Amino acid sequence: MLFFSFFKTLVNHEVTVELKNDISIRGTLKSVDQYLNIKLDDISVVEEMKYPHLSSVKNVFIRGSVVRYVHLPAAAVDTPLLEDATRREASQAVAKAKQG
Amino acid sequence: MADPRLSSSNHAPGFPPAIRLEPGQLIPFDQPQQHMNHPPPPGMNPMMQMQQGPPPIPQLPPQMFTTAAQLLDLTDKKLMVVLRDGRKLIGVLRSWDQFGNLVMQDTVERLFVPKEFLYADIERGLFLVRGENVSLLGEIDLDKDDYIPPPYQLAPVDKVFALKKAEDVENKKSEKLKQKRLAKEGFEGEHAGEAIL
Amino acid sequence: MADNDQSNSVSEPLDLVRLSLDEVVFVKLRGDRELKGRLHAYDSHCNIVLGEVEETIYTIEEDDEGEETVKTTKKQAEMLFVRGESFVLISPQPPS
Repeated sequence: MLFFSFFKTLVNHEVTVELKNDISIRGTLKSVDQYLNIKLDDISVVEEMKYPHLSSVKNVFIRGSVVRYVHLPAAAVDTPLLEDATRREASQAVAKAKQG
Repeated sequence: MADPRLSSSNHAPGFPPAIRLEPGQLIPFDQPQQHMNHPPPPGMNPMMQMQQGPPPIPQLPPQMFTTAAQLLDLTDKKLMVVLRDGRKLIGVLRSWDQFGNLVMQDTVERLFVPKEFLYADIERGLFLVRGENVSLLGEIDLDKDDYIPPPYQLAPVDKVFALKKAEDVENKKSEKLKQKRLAKEGFEGEHAGEAIL
Repeated sequence: MADNDQSNSVSEPLDLVRLSLDEVVFVKLRGDRELKGRLHAYDSHCNIVLGEVEETIYTIEEDDEGEETVKTTKKQAEMLFVRGESFVLISPQPPS
């Protein structure tokens, strides 16, 4: 759930999603769900001539499983907070494993 | 055939309980919030929720962040669906479920050959697409409907199909060569390990 | 934060990753790619966030005599989320 919450803090920021089939789509992050499916608004494709099929598309729903990277604006990320949240999530996972 | 209106209105009131958010799991990034612990009944207007109690910081309602909410916006819209194998389908989204399975009406498959700047359309009709094979869904801007950037040109299906097939064969060959060469350097192909033998 | 007693020990594989938080790591990915960057976050699926990233992409180029050579392309990114499925390995020590 860490990255689900993390992406929710980035809503309305500009991101670039690079897919496993090498297409890069830039747009405004509008929504994310528990599978890290991503919705982008006002999109543009980085190499339009190579991927002309998205030219008349205004917003996309990208299935989480086809994502390779998401390029994020560094200014929008509070890295110490993110690291703390990671440690907390890790210790929770250990605690859960012990219980189960 | 069933009335298409019927299928889409099935989703409107509430989202499948299986993918509801769990309040406790939001802790790492969200400040403690009362309204998170008491999610409003399904179908409740997000605006009403905002009026209930003033949240500490402006926060989007949690039910926005579900697969269902994302797909609900796209229902009955003309979409460009890209499948994992690269196929492009254009049609109207009539129904879907929590797995991302889709029912598309009046589907057209569009073939592109970027090398020659050509494309072609094939009428396909009604499709049920299994969710796991979907790569992305794009809502087509009706103002720019069917805009394909020049110098792309419509060409006869036979011609484009043949060119596309030749290109696919060529790509597959060079990809195989690359994998073989890079495997010696200790690299894994993107789909290695799930190869069908 | 209330750290438990094992916060500095390594008892399961992901503990090694936890000890690399805020350090520069080397990541090898599927699809002939490598990354070097500062690790800011990870989860149990091995999804990660890296900062000040350098990506190296390996491709094959064939010259006129049909000789194949490995070519590398480098890209920079300020902050990158990487999907866990693409992972092959993560190492705290970047190869020099």
